Amino acid sequence: MKLSEEEVRKITFEAISELGEKATPEAVKELVRKRVESMDSDYKYEKSDVSSGRVILTSFGLNHPGIVAGVTKAIGDANCDIQDLSQKILGDFFTMIMVIDISASQKDLKEIQEEMNKVAQLLKIKIYLQHEDVFRYMHRI
Amino acid sequence: MPYEFEEILETIRMTEIEHFDIRTVTMGISLRDCHDRNIEVTKQKIYDKILRYGKQHVKLAKEVESQYGISIANKRVSVTPISIPFDACNAEEFIEIAKTLDKAAEEIGIDYIAGYTALVQKGMTNGERELIKSIPYALSQTKRVCSSVNIGSTKAGINMDAVLMMAEVIKQTAEKTKDNDSIGCAKLVVFANAVEDNPFVAGAFHGVSEPEIVLNVGISGPGVVLEAIREAGNVDLQQLSEVIKKTIFKITRAGELIGRKVAEKNGIPFGIVDISLAPTPAEGDSIADILKAMGVEDVGAPGTTAALAMLNDSVKKAGLMASSSVGGMSGAFIPVSEDMGMIRAVQAGNLSLEKLEAMTSVCSVGLDMVAIPGDTAVTTIAGIIADEAAIGIINDKTTAVRIIPAYGKKIGDFVDYGGLLGKAPIMEVRKLSSAGFVGRGGRIPAPMRSLTN
Repeated sequence: MKLSEEEVRKITFEAISELGEKATPEAVKELVRKRVESMDSDYKYEKSDVSSGRVILTSFGLNHPGIVAGVTKAIGDANCDIQDLSQKILGDFFTMIMVIDISASQKDLKEIQEEMNKVAQLLKIKIYLQHEDVFRYMHRI
Repeated sequence: MPYEFEEILETIRMTEIEHFDIRTVTMGISLRDCHDRNIEVTKQKIYDKILRYGKQHVKLAKEVESQYGISIANKRVSVTPISIPFDACNAEEFIEIAKTLDKAAEEIGIDYIAGYTALVQKGMTNGERELIKSIPYALSQTKRVCSSVNIGSTKAGINMDAVLMMAEVIKQTAEKTKDNDSIGCAKLVVFANAVEDNPFVAGAFHGVSEPEIVLNVGISGPGVVLEAIREAGNVDLQQLSEVIKKTIFKITRAGELIGRKVAEKNGIPFGIVDISLAPTPAEGDSIADILKAMGVEDVGAPGTTAALAMLNDSVKKAGLMASSSVGGMSGAFIPVSEDMGMIRAVQAGNLSLEKLEAMTSVCSVGLDMVAIPGDTAVTTIAGIIADEAAIGIINDKTTAVRIIPAYGKKIGDFVDYGGLLGKAPIMEVRKLSSAGFVGRGGRIPAPMRSLTN
């Protein structure tokens, strides 16, 4: 859960005005923490409701230095969370599969796919992003 | 990791290398409330209704495509059999309606709209007779409209008057579209036991028992099955059946997911997933190649029908397990022009029309995209239709004839449409006459099979 500086400041001011005379640094801190926590739980509830925030990223191509770095940097820049990662080298071939959560990203799947296509071109590898559901449907009864 | 490495790679391999795609998402739209005394009002109602439901169809399907990484080859629309709500129309008015359908299809960005249809297995109304008369004109004056006529069913028998009429209509359509290799015939299907929820154009229509609006999906995937069979190597037929079933199970599940998501995005109910294996002219996406991988030297060799029967049965068993919404045709398609392996078998002289007919008795859907000499007699075409319909009604299955008597062409020539319709070598038809039989007219009575109560 990330809050912008402005949001934190707003919550703090609200807390100070609410506490009025009794506003000690400790009391404010406590109130702000509670406020943020309650927001956090709301957010989590929403997130679990949408089971489908996860996508599977598959990348492969000829192995060379910098692939993992390049791919993970792009994922990080898009504010996606890597939840699982598995990587293998078969001969000269590099394969990496990741489960990433894109629900916190400002970008939608299509935009992230476009970002990844750029990375794939740069690294001379192939990257596929597919929604997790398709794997669940095909491989789990 | 929630999924095995191999599982994920298998899916990627299917979608990226082995041509697994969704063949079609077809939106069925009821036009039963579109009739008006004034033909202009009728046309406007039809146009408005198709646009109201279909406007977003292509866009939303594309969104689902990119979300799941599975491409959807065709986005299409089927409508209520036109002869039913507009039974009061005459041939000229039906042609006007066809043009309206064409315009609406163009506006929503789809390549085909199907349902220029009449169901006449037992007899015809005046409207149905007019619609059938109008078919050659409608198909030659529009680009996107597809037509089908049901001339037989297990419950009703075969309407032989309609069979002869349709043979004449096919010939006329071939002539009217002679400048484009008689392409009109590629958009015209003659059915026995037509199904109401078939998503596959050209034979699709939105049956009378269907809801207001529905989304049906047709899967594809011969390439995936082919690879699985090749990988299995030299195993016995029971094991081979297992291999086919496992593969089909997975692609059916994926197909249903895609169908449900497209329906959800459109905010309309999901109907069925049609598990037919539908080939495309792309290399490796061929039913013929599957049969060869199963062990026959080429399509047409003795054993072909048995191999196809087993393939088709395995497909059904797996599909039924994978989804509770299996419907439509749900068998393997063996069109000639749309399958590189079939084209090659015909060219090599290994596959005859008669063997093809035998094969259609164990799979869906019939003599499909078969080109024959342009000078083939109407009564001979009627005989071919009657034979297929007989296979259908006796075995209680759907059969169809989509045959192209290519105007001005003879053995050794080709019709070439490009795209998904592909190209077909002209096949030899026996010169023996069927005129005496089909000329009798009347109806072949419903078979024993119809008395199941």
